[in-house]
Amino acid sequence: MSSLFSALSIATGALGAEQGAMDATTNNVANVNTPGYSRLRPVLTESDPVVIGSVTYGQGVTLDKLESVRDPILQQRIEQETQQQGQLNTFVSAMQQAQVQFTSSSTDIASQISNFFSSLNQLSTDPANITLRQGVLAAAGNLATVFNNTSASLTQQRASADLNVTQAVTQVNQLTGQIATLNTQISQLQGVGQDASAFEDQRDVLIGQLSGLIDVSSINSDNSLTLTTANGTPLVLGGQSFALTTQTNASGFQDVYGQGADITSQLTSGQLGGLIQVRDQTIPGLISNLDTLASGMANALNTANEQGFDLNGNAGTALFTTPSPSGQGYAATMAVQITDPSLIAASSDGSPNSNGNVAVLAAVQNQNVAGGQTPTDYYSSIVANVGNDVSNGSAELNASQLALTQLQDQLGSISGVSLDEEASNMVQYQRAYDAAANVVTTINDMLYTVINMDTLTV
Amino acid sequence: MSSIRINPFPMPDLLAALEQLQQQTTNTTLELATGSTINKPSDNPGGAAQVIRLNEQSSQAASFQSSIGSINGQFSTADSTLSSVVSSLQSALSLGVEAAGGTLSPAQLADIATELTSTQSQLLSLANTSYQGQYIFAGTSTAQPFVLDPTQPPGVGYKGNAGTNSVTIGAGYQVQVNLPGSQVFGLGNATGDVFQAIGDLITSVQKNSGIGGAVNEIDNALNYVTTQRTFYDDGLNQTQTQQTYLNSQSLSLSQQLNTVTAANIATLASQMESEQTGQTATLEAIGNTPQKTLFDYLA
Repeated sequence: MSSLFSALSIATGALGAEQGAMDATTNNVANVNTPGYSRLRPVLTESDPVVIGSVTYGQGVTLDKLESVRDPILQQRIEQETQQQGQLNTFVSAMQQAQVQFTSSSTDIASQISNFFSSLNQLSTDPANITLRQGVLAAAGNLATVFNNTSASLTQQRASADLNVTQAVTQVNQLTGQIATLNTQISQLQGVGQDASAFEDQRDVLIGQLSGLIDVSSINSDNSLTLTTANGTPLVLGGQSFALTTQTNASGFQDVYGQGADITSQLTSGQLGGLIQVRDQTIPGLISNLDTLASGMANALNTANEQGFDLNGNAGTALFTTPSPSGQGYAATMAVQITDPSLIAASSDGSPNSNGNVAVLAAVQNQNVAGGQTPTDYYSSIVANVGNDVSNGSAELNASQLALTQLQDQLGSISGVSLDEEASNMVQYQRAYDAAANVVTTINDMLYTVINMDTLTV
Repeated sequence: MSSIRINPFPMPDLLAALEQLQQQTTNTTLELATGSTINKPSDNPGGAAQVIRLNEQSSQAASFQSSIGSINGQFSTADSTLSSVVSSLQSALSLGVEAAGGTLSPAQLADIATELTSTQSQLLSLANTSYQGQYIFAGTSTAQPFVLDPTQPPGVGYKGNAGTNSVTIGAGYQVQVNLPGSQVFGLGNATGDVFQAIGDLITSVQKNSGIGGAVNEIDNALNYVTTQRTFYDDGLNQTQTQQTYLNSQSLSLSQQLNTVTAANIATLASQMESEQTGQTATLEAIGNTPQKTLFDYLA
């Protein structure tokens, strides 16, 4: 048989449970604008009943816990997409800077190539004219200068990417250190059965930031979180973080090391992946293309000039400085070898007013001197490739941004705090609390009746 | 009944959409301002490459046109010079015919000889004509081509050479721009040596002997130079024809460039209006995002 005291106990328990639920609502409302916060939800369960004879008596409600509403799989997808976005963002940003060098203008490489060959055409009409010869040397100088400047600008951009690699590694180490600390706190709380959701939220935010920097894989097990790079280099094992380091390589750039191993080439996502791609592949590829073009033109024009005779009837010499056999680094150092305009070998027979060799020099414009293409065709290929890199990268970035937005929308719909919902919950908990309080009052009245039964008069 | 929970924070989505619209408007404004759809390689990578090639062809065409301007000056100078040579020879021919009549006194013949000597000087001067500092009948030499040289049979020596120059005035199209002076003035040519003919006429008039034969020489030289002159006329005709072609090519290249890059102003204007409408709508959506929650109604 049930008693009034057991009923009072049930009502009191209900008051406590509703207060706890109200705590969840209060915390949710307080953190409505906190980044990374996952809303709390009270987990109310029916207390185990008591069976006396053939009657089962309910024992009220129990507040098991306040749980954070999370979706670990969605969270992981967001981290992956953030890594992709970090890489694309860095790549596109760098290539947008690079494409400035290849944007059509009156001083770009294509214009200087055209100007140089136009100056030769002019010289052919009056090959002994010193002013026209000076025009050819000036145009050759401008051509060399634009190669030098473009190459230098790309090299500078590469150095800047290298500096950013070092900074990104420092940021990674700071974040992994903080995550390891949080791991320890979470583990300790969960070990004693306490709620660690606030720390988990903070950790999710930090992992999100880390994902923007580097490709991260996370493994959750037994109150412990392990973070590694995609290739398995450990970053965080529970409460311990493993710092990445940088070392200068033979080219003077910083390689990234994890656990003593060079992992530079294995980093493909996040800002670091983008920086390494730009620094070690894309920009060197562009510089190499410029080297091929500059050295191809210089070799062909040098050979052509050496075939003719200068204004003094002497055999022609190299017009530009001689490239190395591989042409590597030539765009940065290309220079006009001769300074005396009379040394341009316009003549094909040694007579000063012959223009026979100008045609040989001018013919280089239509010869396949770089990568099996004419100078202008080869340059236009470089420009198209740069444009495609930016265009495709931007499209991928937009797609990634869209995917990330959708994923964050989904996560928001699961973990985000809705003030309407919280207000509704508050009303619900308040009413339940009121009802339980009324029950307590009623039981109190009943107890009063029972206690004073002998003194009460009917 | 459970319902689908929606993201309670739409603001980041709206701000991202607004940012994207603003970026599109910036691009559209740039296209409107420049009139070109290709303002950087990524706008149209293939088009950007095509623009480079078209610009190169335009630059080449302009360069060929400039070359034509220069060589036309040479052709015209040579042509007018040879026209003067022809006039001088015609004058010499008239004097020779007059002298050959057998009615002139020795003094009159001496006067004619003097006049012919002057004509010889004029011819020498004409043969040494220069254009922009270069002798046009010196072959590919820079030396003065014709000098008085008593050791040479005609009394005039040729110091130029036999070289010729050609200038490219089109893709794979070269035109020869000069003839060596020795050829133009028929040096050593039995039936066209200008200086030999004028020298012989002077001598024959001075001696009053063999004037008829010398007149024939002048006549032959006149015909020879007239023939040589056609080279320069032909050259002028070729360059004029090529100039017409290059003008049309430049126009065609300009049209191709326009096709690749020209922005459709009407489309862009419409696009910009649409983007601005989108921006306004997004801003209104942001402004109309519910400011009140259920809490406001529970007081």
